[in-house]
Amino acid sequence: MKKKTVMLLAAVLAAALVGCGGSGGQSQGQSGGGSGTGEDAGADSAGKDSITIATDVDVDTLHPSDFSTTVEHTILSQIYDPLMFMNPDGAHDPEPRIAEDYEISEDGMDYTFKLRDDVTFHDGMALTSADVKFSLELYMASEYQGAQVIGLESVETPDDTTVICHLDAPYSPFLLGVCQVSIASKAYYEKSEDDFVNQPVGSGPYKYVGREKGSKVTLEAYDGYYRGEAAIKNVTFEVIPDQSTTAVALKTGEIDFATIESSTIAQLSGDDAIQVEEVGNSGFTYVSMNTEKAPFDDVKVRQAINYAVNRENVVAVCYDDEAEVNSNICSKDRFGYSEDQPQYTYDPEQAKKLLKEAGITTPYDLGTILVAEKYSNIATVIQNDLKAVGLDVTIDVKEFNAYIDDLTSGNYDITALEMTLDGDSQQLEMAFTTDYIGTANNARYSDEEMDSLFSQARTEADTDARAEIFDQILTKAQDEAIYAVLCNPLTLYAHNSGLDCQEFPYEGIYSIYNFSWK
Amino acid sequence: MYKYVAKRLLYMIPVLLGVAFLVFTILSLTPGDPGSIILGITAKPEDIAALNAEFGYDKPFFIRFFNYIGDVVLHFDLGNSYQSRQPVIHDIMARFPNTFLLTLISMSAASVIGISLGILSAVRQYTALDQTLVVVALIFASIPGFWLGLMLMLLFSMKLGILPSYGAGSLKALILPSITVCMTSAAGLLRLTRSAMLETVRQEYIRTARAKGASQKRIIWKHALRNALLPVVTTLGTSFGASLGGAIIAETVFAMPGMGTLITTAIRQKDIPVVMGATLFLAVLFSLIILIVDVLYAFIDPRIKAKYQNGGKRRE
Repeated sequence: MKKKTVMLLAAVLAAALVGCGGSGGQSQGQSGGGSGTGEDAGADSAGKDSITIATDVDVDTLHPSDFSTTVEHTILSQIYDPLMFMNPDGAHDPEPRIAEDYEISEDGMDYTFKLRDDVTFHDGMALTSADVKFSLELYMASEYQGAQVIGLESVETPDDTTVICHLDAPYSPFLLGVCQVSIASKAYYEKSEDDFVNQPVGSGPYKYVGREKGSKVTLEAYDGYYRGEAAIKNVTFEVIPDQSTTAVALKTGEIDFATIESSTIAQLSGDDAIQVEEVGNSGFTYVSMNTEKAPFDDVKVRQAINYAVNRENVVAVCYDDEAEVNSNICSKDRFGYSEDQPQYTYDPEQAKKLLKEAGITTPYDLGTILVAEKYSNIATVIQNDLKAVGLDVTIDVKEFNAYIDDLTSGNYDITALEMTLDGDSQQLEMAFTTDYIGTANNARYSDEEMDSLFSQARTEADTDARAEIFDQILTKAQDEAIYAVLCNPLTLYAHNSGLDCQEFPYEGIYSIYNFSWK
Repeated sequence: MYKYVAKRLLYMIPVLLGVAFLVFTILSLTPGDPGSIILGITAKPEDIAALNAEFGYDKPFFIRFFNYIGDVVLHFDLGNSYQSRQPVIHDIMARFPNTFLLTLISMSAASVIGISLGILSAVRQYTALDQTLVVVALIFASIPGFWLGLMLMLLFSMKLGILPSYGAGSLKALILPSITVCMTSAAGLLRLTRSAMLETVRQEYIRTARAKGASQKRIIWKHALRNALLPVVTTLGTSFGASLGGAIIAETVFAMPGMGTLITTAIRQKDIPVVMGATLFLAVLFSLIILIVDVLYAFIDPRIKAKYQNGGKRRE
């Protein structure tokens, strides 16, 4: 009897093992990594012409204008080419893409683009000015990306290779915005609106191959690309939501490239086969104070808070040192920034002095610091810094959407969060001008002079004069301590060290066309 | 029997309506609106309003609810996702097969391992084998899934390099997530089977059987097991149904697109059509599974079979 039960146990275990082994054996060679990964892990990459890239979320759509996330933007920009490529750091001239040249009229109202005549879409059709007009109009009507073509009134196409954009008023950031527009095929759209979204056809270096919802998007180099076929032939974007899994998959060589969080670096360090790259970003982490509420309506209190926070400490504790300390809302590589604009440094004594001048007797109850869960660690650091100068705050953590509701409706005292106002420096108006109270002007700051400076910057075509206006804006913003900006978190990429990525553009929409295996 | 099944199927209608109403209400009460969640904090209010209007989200709660139910009942249309603006059914169908396979493999393995070891443990009560099994089961029942998943990944993907660390679609990629899900369920089933068996073997009819001179084998397999299995089958049914809702932890750790991550992501994005569609889909499946479990009772227990055949009425 005893023997039988032991036999039964053995049989169960054996069945379990055989089951695993069997199914493993059958599917050998088609590992989850997909295109030829696994065997050639590490730096040994000779003859490799495919790349697997991890993304933390899936794409919801591949519509050229109606998208909203960074991952969607990244994949779309491999499929679709813009008129011109512009590194948004303000220091580069636009590079030709579909348009080989451009011209701005004296009054700043008309932008004329001269198109190449050898650009084709992935379905073989030639790209003409009609497609550009169609795409620009698609953006004008889009709730998602309409902001890229602000000011555009109408598009004229005198011939197949000329596009003239008429603006309703001079708008200096127009060029940068219009360079973000994905040029899509009008004929393809008219053939099938469904395919237009689900089987995108662009004129970029990669053509769309297929997609598995929730798990991957595959692309293939387009052999008719006007700048020459890409070095890497097959691209697979795989959705891996968990950072630990991403780290393991990088180490096993199942994936070659990933955007990572600072906390993941520790898992990857010491592995020579993986290289981590840091790229500057205009996104900023900041403390916002509701200037409609006392005591934050007092500039001295806001300055005191700016002096009270230890930015180096925030960067060390919350970002594992992967962020640049900066008290200016404008990042160092961005148009308008200057070393001469005031910076706030850690100075608790100065903070105490300013609080005294503001008539605040410490310890003082500053109310509640409201944060979304992912920023609660920043709030804890700030809470300690404020306590050191005699300001008490309690932390209130809310679910993200509930938090955003309170933030935009002004239902808070003080908060800490990250924000991206990318594109032209003009976008900073969202943080400072009266029109944006209720959206991104979280300080609810309203000042006629500030509003007027931003309208001047909007129409000023001369670069030096425009830089001067931004200097006034940013100096004013710092003097009045409208926000307490803490740092610019870096964008971090980890990739197989056999991969040569060339230079990453600022803001981090990378182009796989620039990648190659060493 | 058929009458009983038909009646149970009809009962599903109010249950599904109730589920729909409850989920729809809760979703509508949560803060945020789809337009501002999609377009973000820097969007213009008029764009947000336009997008919400496009989704029909600007209409009052009851109108939205009845429109939704109308579409589902009259046109079998679960609507379009707010995020992707594509039919919800595509989202479900892209993920359900993964979840179904994972559930099928892990639950079958869990029931084979859990029930057989549970019986073994009960038969050998208080032996070293029994105690070992109980302790091991306790350990696996208490290990958090994400940790077990990561450890398996470190061992099989990184150290041994024989299994992929993530992905879906191939059987090989399913092994690690299946083990992760299976171990916890198997441990639970082992403990349940063991205690149910122990209770049954103390029953008087077992003593009678023994007195009649029935063999140990016959007593265990014929008399004790069938009775002990009732609570086990119930648990198995409900946990099978529940795991069709997705194993969120295993799905996240192993980057497997399944129902669990679909629903949690949709809730966070306030993608009401996706949450509703997926919930209703799962509610139908769950109700059917519970019905199958109830019918299974009849085959395990003749007393229940007699009751069903009587149209649910008690024999006077």
